[in-house]
Amino acid sequence: MSAPLPPPAPEEAEDWQRLHPLSPLLRGGLVFLAVLGYAASQLFDRVLSTIGLSANGSGFGVDDDPADVGDPTDAFIAHPLVALLAVLLLIAVVALGNYVAWRFSRFRVGARQVELRQGVLFRQHRQVPFERVQAVELSRPILARLFGLAQVVVQSAGGADSNLKLSFLSLARAERVRDDLLALAGASDEAVSQHLDVGAPIEGGVPLAGTAQGGPGAARPILEVPNGRLFVATILHGSTIVLALLVIAALTGVGAANFGAVVFAGLPALVPIALGVGIGRVKELLTHGNFRLADAGSGLRIQHGLTDLRTTTIPLHRIQALDMVQPLWWRPFGWWRIRVNVAGIASGADGGGEAETTLLPVGGLDEALHVLSTLGHRAGVEVLREAALGTEPAPGWFSASSRAKVFDPLSWRRNAWRLTESAVVLRSGRLTRRAVTVPHARVQSLTLAQGPIEARMDLAGVTVVSTPGPVSATLAHLDVDAAERFLDAVAAAARVARRAAPTDHPIPHLAPGPSELVD
Amino acid sequence: MLAPDSAPDSQQQPVQVTLRGGDLVWKRVSPALGRVRLITAAIVLTPLVVASIVVAILVTPWVWLATLALVVVGLWVAWIITRQVSAISWVELDEEIVIRKGRLFRSLVSVPYGRLQYVDIQSGPLMRASGIASCEIHTASPESGGSLPGLPVAEAEALRARLAARGEAQRAGL
Repeated sequence: MSAPLPPPAPEEAEDWQRLHPLSPLLRGGLVFLAVLGYAASQLFDRVLSTIGLSANGSGFGVDDDPADVGDPTDAFIAHPLVALLAVLLLIAVVALGNYVAWRFSRFRVGARQVELRQGVLFRQHRQVPFERVQAVELSRPILARLFGLAQVVVQSAGGADSNLKLSFLSLARAERVRDDLLALAGASDEAVSQHLDVGAPIEGGVPLAGTAQGGPGAARPILEVPNGRLFVATILHGSTIVLALLVIAALTGVGAANFGAVVFAGLPALVPIALGVGIGRVKELLTHGNFRLADAGSGLRIQHGLTDLRTTTIPLHRIQALDMVQPLWWRPFGWWRIRVNVAGIASGADGGGEAETTLLPVGGLDEALHVLSTLGHRAGVEVLREAALGTEPAPGWFSASSRAKVFDPLSWRRNAWRLTESAVVLRSGRLTRRAVTVPHARVQSLTLAQGPIEARMDLAGVTVVSTPGPVSATLAHLDVDAAERFLDAVAAAARVARRAAPTDHPIPHLAPGPSELVD
Repeated sequence: MLAPDSAPDSQQQPVQVTLRGGDLVWKRVSPALGRVRLITAAIVLTPLVVASIVVAILVTPWVWLATLALVVVGLWVAWIITRQVSAISWVELDEEIVIRKGRLFRSLVSVPYGRLQYVDIQSGPLMRASGIASCEIHTASPESGGSLPGLPVAEAEALRARLAARGEAQRAGL
């Protein structure tokens, strides 16, 4: 996506736009805060130790020796002017660097692509064609929010390295850029799907054609997740439950045996674990807090974050696969989580991906089905309800083998797959329930796998391969011939769906209209 | 589109692609791949065997046991390699390329031509000396790519050209 190119020619300067003039300050702000924080903590320590010394009666004399420069604070106190100058100089250098970087970065929203030029010594020119835009994210770190600024991140299929970041713009401008980008990206897709005429009518779901909903900026809210529910759901997590069991075990051990000291000694060992678990949970709460989902015309707009407010818009047809998951501890509340795979937003690596691929952090089954029907599910809501709750073999579903009992004593009757008009649906798991949907038009490839024990029992597992992401569509322990029929049927359906997709268009990576998403 | 229940029930029409091969004409990779892999294994194992013999002669005869173990491991590896190489086979269908691998752990991957992003051909010095190359097929998902090690170079090039042409003709959106 990026290529070295000559510096911007002055004659086309009016096309190119600058980032917000405050952005160098904001980027430098972090360094400034760090210096300030360090100085403050040092001085604070100093004050504390002075008080401690005076309390000990040693007097103040110890610190009066200017030769003692082991601690920067000492140097600071000895030569306040020099130290101040050094700090100012550091800040000035950082500020200058940021200013120069700002002077040299320009961006442009062109007719077919968005471009960003950066760098002084090492120039970088990154362009993302609209057809490759996978999602557009608007994020507002807390510092940027203070200044009324925002950052626009254009996600393309190459992963985090190929993202194009416009940091920072004023909020209004960022929103305008985002809407422009989405409108243009949507238009370039629409042109193709009209050209190919593949838009099938949507029966059950809500149509999400870009133009029908007014401007792309006008988003129709779909749902909000109350922070209270999110809080309870976040605490109900495998790690916290295990931790709670450990603590209870340790405490009852203390109670039962009066020589509890030995067992009690185990408790402090739990502290770092508890800390780790706590940090993980708080982080999840911070990212998923204030969750809002809206229908932004041609895509879904996800807004989330307690401190770092992010808004991501995912064009509907970029969704590669989706799953509904219900961990065991959520069952009393009937809660589900919905996640999706979007090419280029892989979860993991930078950790940011996970939040961007969650369509519903926690919600009731009806809410979950509502979200899915908003995605344009056609025949599917009843099928999905069955996929979510069904525990017995049912008509239309093809179950795992009865010989799979040995491997999955609880879930072998539930594990099953079925085809719908436009997607393949897999359901699995008795304790943690899971239902995965992969649209036929998004199947990357299919695999069968068989280990030695499975071979002896004439079983095999199947996987529908999707792009990297949190969702994986796998079903274990089918009869071998059932697995082969699965491969045959899904491949056939995918073939039909691919034929409906663009073939001979000059731009290769184009997807059909939103109606093809899931059924 | 497909009627929901029809395809998997179609017993009347037998499934074409099966885990064990079935009626399709599967192409095998070059036996030269077996040779290359055996040589690689020998390069790793021979110094160890020599070292153990030296130690056995100079220090203690007990090390002969280690030598014996190494030889057994070597024979076992050689047996595995021959079995594995003869199990790699592929077939080009109208819209997919299907690759089968493994005997103990069998796997089969079916990659539609329309999903191909690019095809890599690689060949190390040993493989070049034997006139073979490996052909790797990449889709938008890193886990789905199939690889065909050990094709004769001319065949690998031809396969790449065929795949590229079909991929272009059947290309589908991401």
